[in-house]
Amino acid sequence: METIVRLEGVTKAYRGVPAVKNVTFDLRKGEIHALLGENGAGKSTLTKVIAGVVEATSGTMIHHGREVSYKTPNEALEAGIAMVFQETSLVPSMTVAQNLYLGAEKFLNRLRGTYISAQQFLQSLNFPVDPTAMVETLGAAKKQMVEIARAVHHNAEIIIFDEPTATLTPEEKRHFFALVRRLKARGVSIVFISHALEEALMISDRITILRDGELVASGETREFDREKIIAAMVGRTLSAELYRQRDEAKLRKPGHKVLSVQDISMSNIVRNNSFSIFEGQITGVFGLIGSGRTETFKVVAGIYKRDFNRGGTIELDDKPVRYYVPREAVKDGIVYVTEDRKSEGFFETMSIAENIFGGLLAAGHEKAWVINAAEMRALSAEWTKMLNIRAINDNARVVELSGGNQQKVVIGKGLVQRPRVVIFDEPTRGVDVGAIAEIHQIINRLADEGLAVVVISSYLPEIMNLSDRILVCRQGRIVEEFSPAEATEEKIMYAAVH
Amino acid sequence: MQGGVPGNDMKSWLNWKEMNQERIVLLIAILIFIVASFTLPGFFTPDNIVAIVRSVSVLGILALGMAIVVIGRGIDLSAVAIMAMSVAWYLQLLNDGMADGAAFLLVISGVLAIGLLNGFLVAYAEVPAIFVTLASGSFVFGYVRSQLIAQDAVPVPLGHWMQLFGGVRYFDIPVEVFIFAALAFLIFLFLRYTKWGRYVYFAGDNPVSARNAGMPVRPMLVLRYVISALIAFIAGLLTAASLHSINTRVVNSTLLYDIVLVAVIGGIGLSGGKGGVRNVLFGAALIGIMLNAMTIIDIPLIYQSLIKSSILLAAIIIDGFLNPRDEQTAQQGDI
Repeated sequence: METIVRLEGVTKAYRGVPAVKNVTFDLRKGEIHALLGENGAGKSTLTKVIAGVVEATSGTMIHHGREVSYKTPNEALEAGIAMVFQETSLVPSMTVAQNLYLGAEKFLNRLRGTYISAQQFLQSLNFPVDPTAMVETLGAAKKQMVEIARAVHHNAEIIIFDEPTATLTPEEKRHFFALVRRLKARGVSIVFISHALEEALMISDRITILRDGELVASGETREFDREKIIAAMVGRTLSAELYRQRDEAKLRKPGHKVLSVQDISMSNIVRNNSFSIFEGQITGVFGLIGSGRTETFKVVAGIYKRDFNRGGTIELDDKPVRYYVPREAVKDGIVYVTEDRKSEGFFETMSIAENIFGGLLAAGHEKAWVINAAEMRALSAEWTKMLNIRAINDNARVVELSGGNQQKVVIGKGLVQRPRVVIFDEPTRGVDVGAIAEIHQIINRLADEGLAVVVISSYLPEIMNLSDRILVCRQGRIVEEFSPAEATEEKIMYAAVH
Repeated sequence: MQGGVPGNDMKSWLNWKEMNQERIVLLIAILIFIVASFTLPGFFTPDNIVAIVRSVSVLGILALGMAIVVIGRGIDLSAVAIMAMSVAWYLQLLNDGMADGAAFLLVISGVLAIGLLNGFLVAYAEVPAIFVTLASGSFVFGYVRSQLIAQDAVPVPLGHWMQLFGGVRYFDIPVEVFIFAALAFLIFLFLRYTKWGRYVYFAGDNPVSARNAGMPVRPMLVLRYVISALIAFIAGLLTAASLHSINTRVVNSTLLYDIVLVAVIGGIGLSGGKGGVRNVLFGAALIGIMLNAMTIIDIPLIYQSLIKSSILLAAIIIDGFLNPRDEQTAQQGDI
């Protein structure tokens, strides 16, 4: 089969830190190519280079025999390369049809005409999506369908799927695979990024495996089996240590019941959710995107307000509390470490010292009215050392740090408030492998010190490895509790989707 | 701290890579000053330099209030209306024979009320600051002009302390220059060394992060608009003191535009979280020197506006060029 895209020696570095190192990758016409690797292995970055989302630092890309360099996703799309993102890039406040034709509208745009042609197009793909529905009202699977339809509509000859099945139910997955096969039959080349090895083995023609940004294995799918893939993906002791089954005897016993949540509700995102959080252990919360896991804990931390009527009760040390602003929760020792550090975690134009000091000021532990710069620097030095935050110099703005160091700053900013309950939401999202291990150590240390720790994650191995008990969230409520010693990825996933 | 200036020696100051808007503005100001000193007759004389400083004092004071609001990611378009109308009302009450203390108390409560209203609407009703302050400014002007005062200009009553105050000079320097310096120093201390002052930067940098960290974002927002209103009142008193009357037509002049110009040209980003008192001083220096030089050359006012706006645009563009928004960092979260 002819090679349609070839990357030669591609390196992509973010501020000097390579996410992809010297990778040579080719994609043939009409094949399904699975791209596997751990979190942070560089799968997304590699495909973003192909799709023109980011520019390669060095190396060349050959498309249809010509050397090219797509500088924007639009340029790549014009050339027939579409990418369907992990987190959807749809505009929530527009209808399905409008999203479908986004960026390709005719000069004179008639809404009715758009709906009719969108309807026909969606039907031709056999997608049961209403073209007049607002995207924000759709579930994860339907959003995915709209994304795919958009890629197909642009007559893309290459479609890149970044973790397409993570949010789908098994039924939806079957539909998705059928669609992928149909696309393949039409001669479309597909790059398929996944964590689920079985899916990759089942559907792909060829497999490429990345580890720490480097290509470690590539070949026909029939040459691979599960063990071989895992060996290639992990390939070193660090990861094996990062993610392994917990031993029953090593689980921390629950301490004092610090939080007791009864039937809390917030609009229709959190519904009658009840659970308890104990000191001295890590409570892992697993749930798919849209399951209300983040919203539930944002209610607990006072960031969102629960419903006023029938909103349920939250008891801290058996005393009922109702927070209207996060400030009240912080004063009571409940700290939420966000999943989206850039937009609601750190202060990007400020230094590490100012960020951490900001946490201290806000908690009200700093009684003095006058800011003491020396004290601020000392505090910052203490925390940078404790959390091993690495920066070029003391004046570096947080936005200039690597993802792992940014995350540590956000964690430091929370911990300096001397919390009793710490809620980590996706603590290792967009963080390199080395920093993941360090962040896990920090989290374990907090639980050992007797704090009540909550870890929300959609990455199962992380939940399995960190938690002393696992709560599974689905449709706005905790539906099941597991002990990590007996839980398997399959059981947890089953609870999360059924 | 807030400027993020790594070194203070002259070398790093002139380092091209470390250039930012603030330094460019200072360099341009110095350049214009030197060129004007050599080429313009009567520019480099003690009298003229005092005149420059005096002319930017009121503008600078107003820009200090604007700076506090803008650093906190807002804008106060009611500043000039509050400045002129509060003092006009105060003078009207005095001319009508009210006791000084009572009149002052009444007016300052009015100023506080407008500041509180601005802040409340922005912080709690979540109306964009630009609309709130535009509306409240118009309201203040319209209400005071139609209901409370008789003519456009209200004179300071004979023998009142403001009249005497306007003539006070130390070492031949008019008193408003000292008041500008004192206010600049106070606000510098507030922004840099107090807890509430630091909250201005945190909220300006990222209000959501500030709220999540447990900072009192909304009360602080109200505080900023109250401070801005009070500063406008002080600026109004000084204007009346030096001119012996207040002309309410100033509300419809380009003064408001000049205030924003001074703040923004000095390097206080409208996106919030950036800059400080130093930026106001540099911006005021540039505008003061420029306006003075243009007046000596006798450039008509309409051309002066054109030049001012061109310089503002150029400053913003150069700053964007030197401190580009880094798209790679924006994407760094999802390797």
